[in-house]
Amino acid sequence: MKVFFSLILLCSSLIFAEKLYSNLTEEEILRLDTISENIRCPKCDYGNINSSNAPISKDLKKEISYLISNGKSDKEIYDLMRERYGNYIILNEEIGKNNLLIYLPLIVLILSIGLVTIYTIKKRNET
Amino acid sequence: MELLKDQMNRIFIVFVSFLIIGMIYLFSYSLSKPEISRINNQTGKDLPEFENLVDLNQEIFDQEELLKGKVLLNVWASWCITCKVEHPFLKKISEENNLKIVGINYKDQLSDAISYLEDNGDPYDNSIFDLGGDYSLKLGVIGAPETFLVIDGKIVSHRVGELNRKIWERDFESFF
Repeated sequence: MKVFFSLILLCSSLIFAEKLYSNLTEEEILRLDTISENIRCPKCDYGNINSSNAPISKDLKKEISYLISNGKSDKEIYDLMRERYGNYIILNEEIGKNNLLIYLPLIVLILSIGLVTIYTIKKRNET
Repeated sequence: MELLKDQMNRIFIVFVSFLIIGMIYLFSYSLSKPEISRINNQTGKDLPEFENLVDLNQEIFDQEELLKGKVLLNVWASWCITCKVEHPFLKKISEENNLKIVGINYKDQLSDAISYLEDNGDPYDNSIFDLGGDYSLKLGVIGAPETFLVIDGKIVSHRVGELNRKIWERDFESFF
């Protein structure tokens, strides 16, 4: 009996999975998956909408599938998400403008070490 | 010559010191500045247009109602515990300020929503029945409760989470 019910449950979940995003081609489902991996769940601090069970994550995934089926490009979808929720929503957002700010201390540190080394060597040679 | 060398050494030490201080400053600055901002508030945006909105009586909701004057849009649901917490405050401000409050009933069952208002009182002039959450999604809602103050179709203040006296005085009251 247990096995029977388990089989029914498994079959029904397979049928349900088949129905979901049935309007998308295999390639489009792959795109949906890639984009969803990169969209942060707005309700959670961590994790993407693929891994989240929050209703908003499911709604966003549904919306993205709708946008894909309507011929929107990845960039257009990301732009729409960014416009609505801000940069926070994109998980793999390039740091962009802040690049210099992040690397500058490192450059200054290397420069300082170099200068101090040259100074010390020079001083030692003099004496 | 010796004096010049001494002076050069001093300039060098000062230069290196400045570099190190600069480095420490930049490092602490980059640590204090968050790399990514938190989720966007919808303040400053226009209300999205949406077709076929219905209210809790299953009648067509005229979106023009939201575009004229000051309207407080409150996202609520009977299953939402925090909505229950903020409900008495909504009733209070609707009485105090002669305020137009429109509810957005978010992902709820119609019968549950109606009984909720019967049991707890109805501070809303009308409530949009957003069963699938499609209108809320376009509005930028991430969950219930959320509150928007809309003036002539523009969102001027947006609260994610419970609305209470403190938040009202800080973010909303100045518009009245």
